[in-house]
Amino acid sequence: MWAYIINLAVLISINAILAVTLNFILGYAGIFSIAHALFFGVGAYTATFFAMKFGAGFLSATAAGMALAALISLALALPALRVRGEYFVAASLGLQMLAVTVFTEWKSVTGGIGGLTNIPPARLFGFAVTQPEHFLLLSLACLGLIILVIRALVRSSFGRSLKAIRDDETAAWAYGKNVAVIKTTAVVVSSALAAVAGSLYAFYLSFINVESFVLDTSIQVMAMVIIGGTATLLGPVIGSVLILLLPAGLSYLPYLPVTEIGSIQQIIYGGAMVLLMIYRPGGLWGFQDTRSSRKGGAA
Amino acid sequence: MLLLQLLINGLQLGAIYALTAVGFSLIFGATKIFHVAHGAAFTIAAYLFWWSNAVLGLNWLLAAALAVVAAVAFGLFMERCVYRLIQRHEGAFFTVFIAAFGVQIIVQNLIGTVFGRGFVSVTTPLSHSVQVLPGLFVAPVAALAIVVAVIGFSALTNYLSRTHTGMAMRALSENPDLIRVFGLDPGRVAQYAFAIGSAIVVPGAIFTAMTAGLNPAVGAHVMLISLAATIVGGIGSLRGAAYGGLLLGLAENLALWRLDPQWSEAVTFVVLFLFIIFRPAGFFGRPHAAK
Amino acid sequence: MSQGGEVLLEASEVAKTFGGLKAVDDVSLSLKSGIITTLVGPNGAGKTTLFNLMTGHLPPDRGQVRWLGKSIVGLPHWKIARLGIGRSFQDLKLFANMTVAENIETVTERGAWLWQPGGRAAQKARRDKVEATLAATGLGDKRNARAVDLAYAERKFLSLARIMASGARLWLLDEPASGLDPGSYQSFLSLLRRQVREGVTICIIEHNLDIVQGISDRIAFLDQGRLLAEGDPKTILSDPALAAIYFGERAV
Repeated sequence: MWAYIINLAVLISINAILAVTLNFILGYAGIFSIAHALFFGVGAYTATFFAMKFGAGFLSATAAGMALAALISLALALPALRVRGEYFVAASLGLQMLAVTVFTEWKSVTGGIGGLTNIPPARLFGFAVTQPEHFLLLSLACLGLIILVIRALVRSSFGRSLKAIRDDETAAWAYGKNVAVIKTTAVVVSSALAAVAGSLYAFYLSFINVESFVLDTSIQVMAMVIIGGTATLLGPVIGSVLILLLPAGLSYLPYLPVTEIGSIQQIIYGGAMVLLMIYRPGGLWGFQDTRSSRKGGAA
Repeated sequence: MLLLQLLINGLQLGAIYALTAVGFSLIFGATKIFHVAHGAAFTIAAYLFWWSNAVLGLNWLLAAALAVVAAVAFGLFMERCVYRLIQRHEGAFFTVFIAAFGVQIIVQNLIGTVFGRGFVSVTTPLSHSVQVLPGLFVAPVAALAIVVAVIGFSALTNYLSRTHTGMAMRALSENPDLIRVFGLDPGRVAQYAFAIGSAIVVPGAIFTAMTAGLNPAVGAHVMLISLAATIVGGIGSLRGAAYGGLLLGLAENLALWRLDPQWSEAVTFVVLFLFIIFRPAGFFGRPHAAK
Repeated sequence: MSQGGEVLLEASEVAKTFGGLKAVDDVSLSLKSGIITTLVGPNGAGKTTLFNLMTGHLPPDRGQVRWLGKSIVGLPHWKIARLGIGRSFQDLKLFANMTVAENIETVTERGAWLWQPGGRAAQKARRDKVEATLAATGLGDKRNARAVDLAYAERKFLSLARIMASGARLWLLDEPASGLDPGSYQSFLSLLRRQVREGVTICIIEHNLDIVQGISDRIAFLDQGRLLAEGDPKTILSDPALAAIYFGERAV
């Protein structure tokens, strides 16, 4: 039982990192990305590569993952954020699907469909993290650190610029904000931090394959952010707890066929997303203006 | 000869993509709603056709009619029961997008649960390729797809330039503020847009069922194509969306000349990305509409 | 009513067409420093579009826009804003979910860096600016209220506060005082006059003829995208032809 709880806690903290980092761009900046799972994957595969090929420790392997994720997100964001939001959605969707193909085909690096096994344990300051309890400490430490970083950013002038852009992009332009650069920076930060989750994931399971980094995963992270509460620091964490406990909860219901639990889980959070948007967009998304704004007539 | 074969296949696929993309572009243009559940309409229509025809054994015309009814019903349902409710609360892009996404997830999983997750397809005599020239195989369904696309598109163009509602939709694509000038009820125009936009995916859905086959995730692929085609063609241009779809279908097949089939989505992304970098307004879009 | 000093912003023969509609048709207008110019005209005359062209929000199809003599056509909107051209919007475009203080604060923060340059001194200067702006617009005790929760008049003042705090030299205000009760509106106008005395140049789009009469140093009259007349208030306001256009359109 204890081992089960520790395991769940580690997975929750890893997913919480994904949710918190996605929330940074989705909730605070209003940027829609469906590519988060790919940065998760980049972090995982890169960290694994450096650990297996060069014996890299946790810190350097993770740093490598962050750097690559940052570069890829930069390549995505620079062109796609210059233009309207819908373009970024489309581009992130396309990149996510492309990434899955790359993860599947680039067998020498990613192990293809079979994935990579026998990933060595994370090494931190000479100490090999093999015990699940120790790993939980590591993942919680990472989560905590990331939350602090995001918090600092949100409360800074950069955070204010992001929120201004989210609330009214036209006004942000009119008050001297270089919207494209600000949004790009946010995406790069978000993606680099998401790679940390990937690194943790790889070292924890000692096995990764492309199935964990597909479109469905991006969508699941988005559900965590939406359901838990956007633009709050702890909302995404709550969301990840709820969503990860869902399959466990569902398995207690006797009437559900086990093979369908995955689908039912998705249907539940899909439904939650729809209902929330209809009935409580102002509720979970704490601050959203539910009053209709009065627009003046044409000048 | 391989190249010619790929060209024909590309035209066939492009025709399907063009129709589906036009549906999305029509809805977006007329209602400014980013209907990411458009792929779900496609999936519903495709599976209903397959189920009625291949499983229940219904005559294909009847099955097609059922598919149309289902697609239109879905589109109207989304407009009336989801989007309209949301738009009461300010209807920010965010809320509409997430809700549509949520519906897409539900539909995909429901279909997977009810009909299974494997590949299914409908075999008809139309799918059997006939050797037209040495090394060149064309299935009647290819020619049919292209013909249907052309007919569908010209019918739509007629509708948009002749009928009052149609003209309103076109005007709205150009300038949403004109709705008041036309004195039309935005709700009614939206209903028509969703109905037509969803119905127009049905031919593509049927052809896909007959050729490539279906699985529940086909909706996501269709969505990417529709989005990419709309952007490549230029937001606000239906003609553009059609050409965009055609281009993507051709690109996807011509890429097979050198690449393996699993890279087809990669090709779509590359085309999309090139346009975003070099010509965000697309073929026919207005440059400032891209900002 | 003064004639104004140097030319700050000059639009020369600018034009903008949407579809088949000529929103702005060959308009030439100079905004001179130190005075208040009012743009009047019936609804749909193209006044807001003209503002959009002057701030770089939209590129003109034809014509030139110059700031202090140098062309700014083609510059992105944010760069033009940094030159000192500020703008308010008819629908306010407040940062709805941020507090009053944050709305003002963010406008004083330049640069896309993660943190602001300039260290402590610059930080203090920004903070003082925010305080001064809050005081001048009477929003001091609402500083922690979210913009979306403000009353109508307070929102109008916040829109003004933003442009004030941005340090812009030229203010393009789009119907800034519409719908205000007489009391608020007097303090609004005196605030504007005070700013002009302190060196700000203002161009206002306004419908209310009382305001126009009370505050304008110069008036520009637009109709259907064309500049019909431009000059001192007495001349423009007593022109019967212009009145006919203005009131004729209004009596719908």
